[in-house]
Amino acid sequence: MRRALLAALLLFCGPAQAEDLVSGISQDIIQITSNYTGTDIVVFGAIEQPQNAQGRDIVVVVRGPDEPMTVRRRDRIAGVWVNNDAARFEGLPAYYYLASTQPIDHIAPPRSLARYGVGIAYLFPSRVGSHHDPRFFLEAAKRHLRRAGLYAESPGSIDFLSESLFRTRVPVPAGVTRGQYNVEVYLFRDGEVVSAQSTPLFVDATGLERRLFNMAHNASFSYGLACVFMSMLLGWISYVLFHRQE
Amino acid sequence: MEIYLPVAEMSVNWLVLIALGTGVGFLSGMFGVGGGFLMTPLLVFAGIPSTVAVATTLSHVTASSMSGALAQWRKRAIDFAMAGVMMVGGIAGTLFGVWLFALMRRQGQMDLIVALTYVIMLGSIGIIMLRESLATLKAYRSGVTISHRPVNRGWIQALPFKLRFRQSRLYISVLPPIAIGFGVGALSAIMGIGGGFIIVPAMIYLLRMPTKVVMGTSLVQIIAITAITTVLQATSNYAVDIVLAGLLVFGGVVGAQLGVRAGAKLRGEQLRLLLALLVLAVGTGLLWQLIATPADVYSLSEEAP
Repeated sequence: MRRALLAALLLFCGPAQAEDLVSGISQDIIQITSNYTGTDIVVFGAIEQPQNAQGRDIVVVVRGPDEPMTVRRRDRIAGVWVNNDAARFEGLPAYYYLASTQPIDHIAPPRSLARYGVGIAYLFPSRVGSHHDPRFFLEAAKRHLRRAGLYAESPGSIDFLSESLFRTRVPVPAGVTRGQYNVEVYLFRDGEVVSAQSTPLFVDATGLERRLFNMAHNASFSYGLACVFMSMLLGWISYVLFHRQE
Repeated sequence: MEIYLPVAEMSVNWLVLIALGTGVGFLSGMFGVGGGFLMTPLLVFAGIPSTVAVATTLSHVTASSMSGALAQWRKRAIDFAMAGVMMVGGIAGTLFGVWLFALMRRQGQMDLIVALTYVIMLGSIGIIMLRESLATLKAYRSGVTISHRPVNRGWIQALPFKLRFRQSRLYISVLPPIAIGFGVGALSAIMGIGGGFIIVPAMIYLLRMPTKVVMGTSLVQIIAITAITTVLQATSNYAVDIVLAGLLVFGGVVGAQLGVRAGAKLRGEQLRLLLALLVLAVGTGLLWQLIATPADVYSLSEEAP
């Protein structure tokens, strides 16, 4: 639905519209290699036919692939903390980063933020599996993701290089999930989205890491044997090196 | 210094992991144990998911046992018949353990089961070892020698399906070794250990095997169990990380050699006392995590329940 809205917006924002948006990203593929410790991408853009800067806001959202998540609550049972209740969420992104010209609550009313999924507070799962009220579980999920650096909001982090040219730096930390990400740039005027653009960003493991991951899942039997063989070989080598002369 | 673990899907400092492998290898070389019971909790403390920690520690144990078993094989101190019989129980035990592991993981109780099993096993074994080594040390000071009380093994002699184990000079039923193999196999899958600290006392006190073949035979048994469990964990839980395994094994084999040398300078009772204290410390740490009020009672996992 969000995608349909974006497409509709792009259609409506034809050349006749006064203000428009073009944007791009510094790289469209992030490769996870053995020494990957996180990286930054730069999202930049320009406002065409810029008008009064007053009442105009830019919001950049980077959204990771949706991932099912399970939140568990521990309770003390017989003196021991035991996982006792759980809620399952589908349709929440594995990664979410928001950069904006000012705090989003100052940019637009909640109704329009929720429509575009702009702001961590306005992210809602598409499916919920829970016996009870899932609100606390959802809050807990967002709290954990914020703590892990996977959900973040950074108001005031968009730099204007000129009246119409802007850019922002988006951190992509080490613990990110692979898959297709979307970089969304929104142009707000007086609380309404007047233009938006979405660019895909791919995060993928490459080379050896990718082969090992694929092997562990698709050829798990030979992968397991390879692990055993490697350990036995290293054990044997250490025997030859250290014990033989005794 | 960071390296990406492809199965755990996280970046870790590889120097820390090699140091961890060396440290645990040092202690295992010094005390003559596999070190799985130390490695798994330490990896969990270091932030590795407990499913990956349990499944990957096994590789470390395979490697250190391999090195020890080859040395024993050279001395012809291995009872392969006994190891083979135990393996029958061991295979059934690991299958059961891996099944239980997968079930608990789906229920979200994996961490609890691992921690509880550890607390119970480490607590009871630590206390037994502590009492025994303190008694020996006290007796040593007062100049009295303690003779180990012979264990009555009447009920074991009465069991059917007897087999002759030439190397151990025993003629006993195959049922006790199969049962021991089963128990250790199941624990190996759940705790990520080889089970040496259970097999060795069981061989000496229950089966009454001669001490000189106990070490080699238990090592062969441990290699078999950890190898089978690794393959099962890889195929049913996708929880073995080969990069993590490689780092731990590399550190482990180096550390073990240093540990053997350090251990040779200490007396047996002192070693056992230190090991007992270490076992109790790890057990207490895990118990504390179970009973202390957590900072956040909610936890998040990205795998489906």
